[in-house]
Amino acid sequence: MNKLLAGRYLVGNSLLHRLDGRVKIICLLILIALVIGSRSVSSYAISVSAVCMIVLLSKLPPAYVLGPVGRLWLFFITIFLMNALFFDTLNPLYSWWIFHPSVAGIKQGFSVVVHVVLVLILSSVLTMTTSPTEVTTALESLIKPLKLIGVPTEDVAMIISIAIQFIPTLLEETEAIKMAQIARGARFESKKLKERAFSVFPLVIPIFLSAFKRADELSLAMEARGYRNAKKRTKRKKEPLSSKDYIALCICVALCLVQFLLLR
Amino acid sequence: MKKMSYVKLSIITAVSIALCVVLPMAFHSIPNAGSIILPMHIPVLLCGLICGPFFGLLAGLAGPLLSNLFTGMPPAAFLPQMMIELAVYGLICGLMMKMIRTKKVFVDLYISLIVSIIIGRVVAGIAKALIFAPGNFTMAVWTTSYFVTGWPGIVIQLVLIPAVVFALMKAKLIPERY
Repeated sequence: MNKLLAGRYLVGNSLLHRLDGRVKIICLLILIALVIGSRSVSSYAISVSAVCMIVLLSKLPPAYVLGPVGRLWLFFITIFLMNALFFDTLNPLYSWWIFHPSVAGIKQGFSVVVHVVLVLILSSVLTMTTSPTEVTTALESLIKPLKLIGVPTEDVAMIISIAIQFIPTLLEETEAIKMAQIARGARFESKKLKERAFSVFPLVIPIFLSAFKRADELSLAMEARGYRNAKKRTKRKKEPLSSKDYIALCICVALCLVQFLLLR
Repeated sequence: MKKMSYVKLSIITAVSIALCVVLPMAFHSIPNAGSIILPMHIPVLLCGLICGPFFGLLAGLAGPLLSNLFTGMPPAAFLPQMMIELAVYGLICGLMMKMIRTKKVFVDLYISLIVSIIIGRVVAGIAKALIFAPGNFTMAVWTTSYFVTGWPGIVIQLVLIPAVVFALMKAKLIPERY
């Protein structure tokens, strides 16, 4: 199971790896808006070129970046066919039984698939070039304004960082419990739905008991050392944004503006 | 439940969020486990029941987000709607456990679970119909995707979650409710 995790963040020294986590998340949101706003051929050309440029700058192996897209090929074909065959029943190119393929449907199907593929590539590039700890720190900074409505942002960040640290430990423990239950005769691979559903019980209850035992021990240790809540903790000084971060932000905003002007 | 410290509630929430990543991976070998067994729902509902509405809401928002960051599942295109659905489960579960006190733990647990499962699916359906798939999402699609495909998951949740809560109480990892 750890192999699944290992495929996510790839250590590197590309320009994208060196950008600030906060900037990367903001740029991702701007670029998602750019992709979703694409309607004409020229705006699609801008979106696709921007995504290709980002993949090149990330210096990630194309097989890694396109991996999540490849795994969803059946989903993309289904979405395209559903739109192409059922979207416009009034002006079909040809009608047979319940199927009404139309030009508008093909365009709509193509547009939906391209949007999802581009968003998927963008989010994959973010997670492959940003470590989970960096993502947490960036999220903590970005959600700081929520403090104004009473959200304890430091506690939220602390909870997320502890959750990230728990993942490898719980994965190992789950694997051990799974092996132990298979040795006792549990059938996780059965083809019968009933057997498959019942195989969940001997796995889930021990996982929860062991995870909550760890939570109990950690909270006792934290309280014994005087930890009350994250507000009273000191923090390392956050590095200010560099010129390359500002340039990346400006390029993303400029692309969005060009897209907006093309739509008018 | 009797009062648990803020630190313990925070750590239990962190563990629940981590389980949102780990449980779907544990069921990775079982075909269609994601849509049939709904493994990510279990820690969120449990967190809402044990830790209350705020922590349940947080687990519902952060669980799918971290799972997407670590494993790529759920895909980014489905992430917002899943976050909304799970956040409502966690929030409503916590609120119901605060409001309902029948003096019988299993009755409280079942009422909270059933109400949150229904409200969560209704809110997810409304969000899908108005925001994520406007015009393409019908009542029949909603019933099929949330109740017909996922019925084994609903049954598993209704049997498993109270069992886990009682097991945790018996192991004295969480305090007794009454």
